[in-house]
Amino acid sequence: MVTLTIDNQTVTVPAGTTVLEAAQKLGIVVPHLCYHKELGAVGSCRMCAVMIHKGTLTGLKMSCLIAVEEGMVVTTTDERSMALREQVGEWLMLNHPHDCPVCDEGGECQLQEMTIAVGHGRRRYTGKKHTYPNQDLGPFIAQEMNRCIHCYRCARTYKDYCGGRDFGVMGSRNRVTFGRFADGMLQSDFSGNLIDFCPTGVFTDRTFRFTSRFWDLQEADSVCSHCGVGCAVIPGGRLHQLQRVRSGTNAAVNGSFLCDRGRFGFDYGRHPERPRRARRDGQEVAVDVALEALMSDARALIDAEGPEAVLLLGSERASLESNWLLQRLAKELGCRVPVLSPHARRHQAAQAVAFDLSHQLASLADVRTADVAVVFGVDPLAEAPLLALALRQIVRQGGRVVVCDPRPVELPFAFEHQPLSPLALHELLGGGDMDGKHLRDLLRQAKQPVLVAGADLLGTAGLRHVHSLAQRIATDDRACPIYPVLAGANSFGAALLSLPEQDDLMTRLEGDHVRMMICLETDPLVEGPDGKPLGERLARLEKLVVFDYLPTAVAARADTFIPTCPPVEASGTFINSEGRLRRFERVLAPGASLAHKEDGAHPPRAFFLTQPDSEPLPAPRLLQRLLGGETSLAQIQAEMVMDRPRLAALPQLKAGEEGERVAATVARALPEEKLPEQPAGTLQLVVSPARYGSDLLSRYARQLTPRLTTACVYLHPEDAERHGVQEGDRVDLDTRFGRFTLPLALSETLARGCALVENSAALPEPIPGSGISFCRIGRGGANG
Amino acid sequence: MADTLFTVVLILAKLALIFGVVLFMAAYLVLAERKILGRMQLRYGPNRVGPFGLMQPLADVIKLLTKEDFLPARADKWLFLVAPGITAVTALLVFAVVPFGPTIEVFGRTIPAAVVDLNVGVLYFLGVSSMAVYGVVLGGWASCSKYSLLGSVRGLSQMVSYELSLGLSLVPVIMMARSFSLHDIVMAQASVPFLLLNPVACFVFLICILAESNRIPFDLPEAENELVGGFHTEYSGMRFGLFFVGEYINLVVLGSLMTVFFLGGWHGPWLPPVVWFLIKVLMVCGLFIWIRACLPRLRYDQLMNLGWKVLLPVSLLNILVTGAVLLGLGL
Amino acid sequence: MSRHVFRDIRGTLQPFWVTLRNLFRKPVTVQYPEQKQQLPERYRARLILTRDPDGGERCVACHLCSAACPVDCISMQATEAADGRRYAAWFRINFTRCIFCGLCTEACPTKAIQVTADFELAGRDPLKLVYEKVDLLVDHCGNDNSYNFYHQTGIGVTAPRGENPQETKPMDVKDLMP
Repeated sequence: MVTLTIDNQTVTVPAGTTVLEAAQKLGIVVPHLCYHKELGAVGSCRMCAVMIHKGTLTGLKMSCLIAVEEGMVVTTTDERSMALREQVGEWLMLNHPHDCPVCDEGGECQLQEMTIAVGHGRRRYTGKKHTYPNQDLGPFIAQEMNRCIHCYRCARTYKDYCGGRDFGVMGSRNRVTFGRFADGMLQSDFSGNLIDFCPTGVFTDRTFRFTSRFWDLQEADSVCSHCGVGCAVIPGGRLHQLQRVRSGTNAAVNGSFLCDRGRFGFDYGRHPERPRRARRDGQEVAVDVALEALMSDARALIDAEGPEAVLLLGSERASLESNWLLQRLAKELGCRVPVLSPHARRHQAAQAVAFDLSHQLASLADVRTADVAVVFGVDPLAEAPLLALALRQIVRQGGRVVVCDPRPVELPFAFEHQPLSPLALHELLGGGDMDGKHLRDLLRQAKQPVLVAGADLLGTAGLRHVHSLAQRIATDDRACPIYPVLAGANSFGAALLSLPEQDDLMTRLEGDHVRMMICLETDPLVEGPDGKPLGERLARLEKLVVFDYLPTAVAARADTFIPTCPPVEASGTFINSEGRLRRFERVLAPGASLAHKEDGAHPPRAFFLTQPDSEPLPAPRLLQRLLGGETSLAQIQAEMVMDRPRLAALPQLKAGEEGERVAATVARALPEEKLPEQPAGTLQLVVSPARYGSDLLSRYARQLTPRLTTACVYLHPEDAERHGVQEGDRVDLDTRFGRFTLPLALSETLARGCALVENSAALPEPIPGSGISFCRIGRGGANG
Repeated sequence: MADTLFTVVLILAKLALIFGVVLFMAAYLVLAERKILGRMQLRYGPNRVGPFGLMQPLADVIKLLTKEDFLPARADKWLFLVAPGITAVTALLVFAVVPFGPTIEVFGRTIPAAVVDLNVGVLYFLGVSSMAVYGVVLGGWASCSKYSLLGSVRGLSQMVSYELSLGLSLVPVIMMARSFSLHDIVMAQASVPFLLLNPVACFVFLICILAESNRIPFDLPEAENELVGGFHTEYSGMRFGLFFVGEYINLVVLGSLMTVFFLGGWHGPWLPPVVWFLIKVLMVCGLFIWIRACLPRLRYDQLMNLGWKVLLPVSLLNILVTGAVLLGLGL
Repeated sequence: MSRHVFRDIRGTLQPFWVTLRNLFRKPVTVQYPEQKQQLPERYRARLILTRDPDGGERCVACHLCSAACPVDCISMQATEAADGRRYAAWFRINFTRCIFCGLCTEACPTKAIQVTADFELAGRDPLKLVYEKVDLLVDHCGNDNSYNFYHQTGIGVTAPRGENPQETKPMDVKDLMP
């Protein structure tokens, strides 16, 4: 620790801290532009000048570059540094256009703030301003190059931190510009970070273009619900419409970054077909009427047919509170405990993570600081995009990343890919051939090793293998934590709440005991692997009740439908893959949007006491109404802690904070998975989630349409040759999910003996994480 | 029998006459006050309803009658409803003893030009006019509002401070007239009004009735800019109207008493006695309005000081001096 | 106390003279509906949205007026025209709330929102005082008939990029000359 004096105040900071950061700790803001907490300093803007009176280097220095020294004396408000900063502000503004009124950054622009902070106000220079050509960077990012102050933050974000390859610095002298070589959509899955990191309005959010001013937005700390990483986000809305999402900050999880799926895929809650009214037998009814009827139906059925008659189905997308209240509801009704996920195998894998691995979970920050990472069965960009960024930081610091996965994994950095088919991957983990030895040696030599395990591909058995591998690697002075990749925003939470006696959905539905099913914020038809048989079984139910905020297939089939709120319209808690409790706060009240952007249209002139279409209520409140008696979220949480001691940190949890991890616990007995034998002449079927449009939320987010890919089947060229098919052919794929005719694409980096399909809106039937299965491929019969 | 009937009819006729005249005067005093104040402040005052705004009182009454009669949630209902009546009724009751002309002979009967000619008229006036403060006190108390309560507390202590000097300022008058009857007091001023004989008593009386009528500079119980509206803050509609009209009836009544006690009542040359009486009353009312245009409101401690430390000693001294002079003159 | 006795007596009596004198003077009141006052040039009343000298809407819907408004009576939505011009899709001023402080005109960077002397806005239907863009937009430049915001910015709306008077031609970014 080093003690120094800044502006007559002493502060003690760790060695290696810069003067700028030490000043920030004291609450002194030294104006700066090119420095960013996540990106570090480069000293190019010259704005953070301070006077160093005592130290190795004295005089006017850039505070972002000077490390603190013992006994250093610094002033930030002396005449010379103030004068220099004002001058810097003045020349940064020489070419900056006079267009703040039409700039979307206005109001949250660091350049505006810093110009005011340094005191520059009146333009003295009378020469002409430079202008630059703009580029079309696709549907997400708008560029206005004239506003650029050449701080290089965009290039440092896009290229250095996120590893994008299609964006950079071009030109020489005062012609330096930042962009792509040619117009076109930015290819990186992290392109949206340019918006947050550009200190002025060069890169702005095109989906949010001219929509609202920062100061008019209702914002709250929330959690991204697209995948299990649980990044901090700050959604913002106005006029009852969610309009944008920007990255929040959580040092343990996402730092200050966000992937494009989380940033631009927020509009599922404003889907035009979103059901907002309660429905019963095709008739719109009041929510309370529907709730009452549903309760009396359930009671009558249970009285007549016993506790098996009603089946409650929770979800990995519903909040912790909702799932727990669903369990309470089962107790209240006297029926069997709810099933908390429609996807049994995924749910079991999540239980393995939440129980067996709970002593050894790594956070994403642990991944970033590791020096060797071995990834088993994860395609990070598809399953947990921010994991790809964390892994990139390992490589940037000189570490190594090895990925063992059947898919043709692409990552924004150099890594070693071992294309192993699912069976081979299990064999590697379970057995111990040469490759496994090589990996063990690599891990044993590492200072800070970390394992990444994909629950979807590995399943319970694979996760247990990874666990024992980690235990073998770990020594007394060197842990080997595991970062698990789970699919849903609250997969961990649902697994943690799950009870051993709950059984899986299809087993519970066997026979004709179940007469009524209540689905809470889930569509088992597309979120579980057994869509077809389940569809037939649902048709035989007497009552199907669905609580949801998406226009899902099962919602359309429901006898009773009750609208709920997406996370931005409710408060609650998720537990992310690493077992971290993440609180989200309500941003907007539910209700029909009043925003109109068409010329001449304007919000209604009539006023109502209640907002039209504001009937949807958060699921926990609906469930409490069913239980009779609404209490606050805090009271529910207090009861949850009494019930589940692992959630002890829940009541102190605050949105926007790092969030506590749930307490570790002992392993749970789970059914053993047996590896199937591969029938001759078949290929192993690998189902991967598509990067966009696989999770149900992004499927209903229409803003992501430009990023959607078409469905096709991938084969290794050797396999294609063996089966006599060529790239571009339409091929028939015979799988346990059905028979599909798809165009064929070849990939050199795909594991041999595998056929890969991506689950997306274009091909929703194959569900990832459904275990190892086999398929047959043949030339497309129908199309010749 | 016929005698009694005649007396009853006569009293009813006089009541009706006085009632009508006093209410009419009260209504138009409001208009006159607003007009005169306006002109003194270089404004026009009300001039929109009827020619020169002459129908304004009618418009005001219609407005007050059609307004919502509001009852505060925690008010003492009965007291709240009764209080405005007390103010208006006591003011009218005082007028019963005011003689507005000499006795007249009708059908061989001597009829006093007052509802009744009590032989203890002065005491009746002092007694009944003290009742008026109940309207203020009860109204303020029943409203259950801090502003109202403060207003009524002020009204009460103001009355206690002034009622004494008011009574004492009348003692010299009684000594000079040797009667408690108002008629006799007027008759005693046939040649010279008491104003000239005892100006000190007249001045003290003037100040005291200013305070009695709750008008500027002694409008502490209302004090719009400190207490919102004082005791009538919570009143609306015609109940507020009763307070309001009561204040102006009071003005007429006190003007009449000033005329009776000090200005020689109906005595005057050339014109008929009733006209003289009216002129004198209106002059006193005019003086009140003029004072309102000129003086600021006293502070509370200033008012108490004036009452107890100045007016009380002065009126006591005045009694002493008057007594001594009367004794010296052997009257 | 005694020092001020004469001053106090004078102070008490003088108003009687002043008010008496006023009683016979002509009132200064302007009889409003019949007589109308000549209002000062800078009188602040009903707001308008002006046009630039080229006839385009000046308002760029930057939300600065609504941010400056102390009573929150201005609301709007920005949108983009085909040529890149930012303008208000809708613009609403609620004159039942407006206090005519004129802070919006001071905040306006494009001189679009301006005050007029038309103060006669009273009415019985409050909704008639909620003015939409069509009610606010006028056909003149208001008090400045030379300023056009888009001539001052670098974003090529009224003129191609780099053609405005104080701008250089766009850089040729592929030029490698020293």
